[in-house]
Amino acid sequence: MISNILLLLLGGGIPYFFLLERSNKFSSKSIFILSWTLLLTAVVLTFFIDKSHTTPFVIVSFLSALYAIYKATQTTNFYKLGYYFIFMNAPFFILFEGQGAFYSLSLLVSLLGIYAIASFYDKHYGSANYLYVRGITLATPLVGIHITVYLISIGLYPPLPNSLFFLTYTFNSEANILWFVVVITLYFGNFLVSMKVLEKSIFGKKNPDIHYVDLNFKEKFAHFTIVILLILLSIYGTREILLWVL
Amino acid sequence: MEKLVLLIPGIPIAIALLLSFVSHKELIPRVNLILSSMIALLGLYGSYHVISGEKDIIGFDGLLIYNELSAILVPYVAILGLVIRKYATKYMWDEAGYKRFFILLNFIFSAIYLLVMSNNLIVLALAWQLMSIGLYLLVSFNVGSKTAVKNARWTMYIHKSADFVFLLAVILTYQTFGSFDLVVLKDQWLLMSQNPINDPMIFAVGFLYLLAAIMKSAIVPFHIWLPYTSEAPTPVSGLMHAGVVNVGGILLNKMAYLLILSPLVLNIAFVIGLFTAIFASMLMLVISDVKRSLGYSTVGQMGYMIMEVGLGAFSLAIYHLIVHGIFKASLFLESGSIINYARKDPYIPERLSHKIFSKESINYTSSKTFKFIALFTIVPVLAFIGTKILLAPEFFEFNAAIVILAFAWLTGTQLFLSFFKASKLGSFKAILGIVTSFIVVLYTYEFIGLSLEHFLYAHDSLLFYEAATLNVTLLSALAMLSFIMLIGGYFIYKQHFVDLPRGINKPSKSKWTFYKLLVKEGYYFEIFSSSKKGKL
Repeated sequence: MISNILLLLLGGGIPYFFLLERSNKFSSKSIFILSWTLLLTAVVLTFFIDKSHTTPFVIVSFLSALYAIYKATQTTNFYKLGYYFIFMNAPFFILFEGQGAFYSLSLLVSLLGIYAIASFYDKHYGSANYLYVRGITLATPLVGIHITVYLISIGLYPPLPNSLFFLTYTFNSEANILWFVVVITLYFGNFLVSMKVLEKSIFGKKNPDIHYVDLNFKEKFAHFTIVILLILLSIYGTREILLWVL
Repeated sequence: MEKLVLLIPGIPIAIALLLSFVSHKELIPRVNLILSSMIALLGLYGSYHVISGEKDIIGFDGLLIYNELSAILVPYVAILGLVIRKYATKYMWDEAGYKRFFILLNFIFSAIYLLVMSNNLIVLALAWQLMSIGLYLLVSFNVGSKTAVKNARWTMYIHKSADFVFLLAVILTYQTFGSFDLVVLKDQWLLMSQNPINDPMIFAVGFLYLLAAIMKSAIVPFHIWLPYTSEAPTPVSGLMHAGVVNVGGILLNKMAYLLILSPLVLNIAFVIGLFTAIFASMLMLVISDVKRSLGYSTVGQMGYMIMEVGLGAFSLAIYHLIVHGIFKASLFLESGSIINYARKDPYIPERLSHKIFSKESINYTSSKTFKFIALFTIVPVLAFIGTKILLAPEFFEFNAAIVILAFAWLTGTQLFLSFFKASKLGSFKAILGIVTSFIVVLYTYEFIGLSLEHFLYAHDSLLFYEAATLNVTLLSALAMLSFIMLIGGYFIYKQHFVDLPRGINKPSKSKWTFYKLLVKEGYYFEIFSSSKKGKL
């Protein structure tokens, strides 16, 4: 019971970002790092602790996720978006049990990409706000490709790993009403938020008042590593799904 | 050796990867065309293997199959792909993101091949979703355009919903039948059809597949994404209308044996398909935007396709999607030059409102003309019945025959009268020419259609017709046919032979209201716009 409460908290099942956002001591970047690290800790712990989901925990995390979806639709900051995604996907972490760890691991890797993009924006455009830096696809296509990959991964599209682990779980599990409500809401929640951000960040005409900067070698290497990690997880996810099907 | 054919879905991905390393722009189309020709050759080889009586090619632990359906569709998609790639080589040359375009194009082709060749519901589900994201990125290719991005968003919403419905159907299929393997499921469904049971779960599964199919095939009320995505590059429009939109028909063909178990789903498909065919065809006539009008034409044709499925004519749906795909791709690829031509002519496109309400039509009064009318309305149906009796007499045992007869009559009569008007001769020679060519075309069409039916389903095709039948007596079916012919005959007669004198006939209010409904596209898009503005 205590371990499950701990996992609920670490996995983002309780919207503690609400308190942190109100405090002046935490920037959105530090909340992102904190929640990302806590989720990683939760994922690591699940390999050692027996995890079983209980209905009240799923309901609590689901309510937290709904609030996070609402907050995610209001923000235009990549850091905030990153940690909202963690809280949005907390019910999956709790509900998915075995596959939950790998699903969350894939989410963490995708969010690492979002973090790298946020840092890039912060460094070159003064903040991690994407709304006014339009036309990325036309000006710096490589940045556009990376944003697309990370967001469609979170938006649950194959062949990216989030979708594969999600499919393995959904095909494996026994459904009840709560299951349906959570899965349908988060399936469309992740998709709608990702698409909204995708549309507002990579599309649009180039802004002549902005000096667009492309990724430097170090940044390219970082993104390349993240994409390789996603590919490795995709291969593992495909293997898992095929092992089960065949 | 023949197992190489199963690599087809992977080749476009390999091309896309290769293209990402090509730095010279001139090399992109060369690499693309040479390697995609390989797909067409492999596809043709696989089809030869299957058609020549060898067994289906199955590989990757039964996940992929090259069967009769693949033997028909893979070469079609591959050759269509070659034409689109060749066209795009020059068309897209000056566009920003030339390389990105070809990478995305290969990505979506890979998804289509995977979908056609999948023998497992999980692989099918993956291909189904891959196609959605590929389509979204292609439709929003013109990233600088707000409307392109907005329409891509609506496309995505509908496709994501279709993805979800499909996943739900797959889960329920596994829970009900205990397998993902389509060959295993087909045998199980065929066995179950011998002792049909009334299980609501089977209906639910069949209905979910139908729902997913109609969403992706742009059937009313999910049609909005197709006519409004014409801002996408023309090669993408060609691909969408000739390839992507057909996936509904392909899916339903893969699920044909399941649908035998739930005849109600077939009946629903018939009603939805019929409504879409009529509604979208009317919209097509009143829309003045050439590409959007073509979009509605495709929606109407997809309606026909789903209606054919609803009648149990599964192979006819495949035949239809191929013929329509070739026809529509050529229209889209030519649309640029037609628009260019139309811009120079103020009377193109012709305003339907002007035609209906103001324009004077030709008035025929001679008794000779009336004989022609009688001939032109009777000959098509006689020719169709004669061809069917000759090639497939068992066809008349099912109600589907009556509906197909009615449509054959409508199409044939319209065609005859148009030719008659165009010829302006009315001579015996002209009539003989029209009738002979109609019979030759009809016979060829029927011959190919029936060959396809025997190739895809052999004697099982009769099971589909039987499942789709409404158990209406022959007498009432004939009465329905006569009713359709009378109504249709009246409209055709009015359209072609009755003059509307100028200045006397003022357009009636109801006629205007109906016309307004059509030009406003059933107010459908306005509902979407309202929801965007926050009114809904």
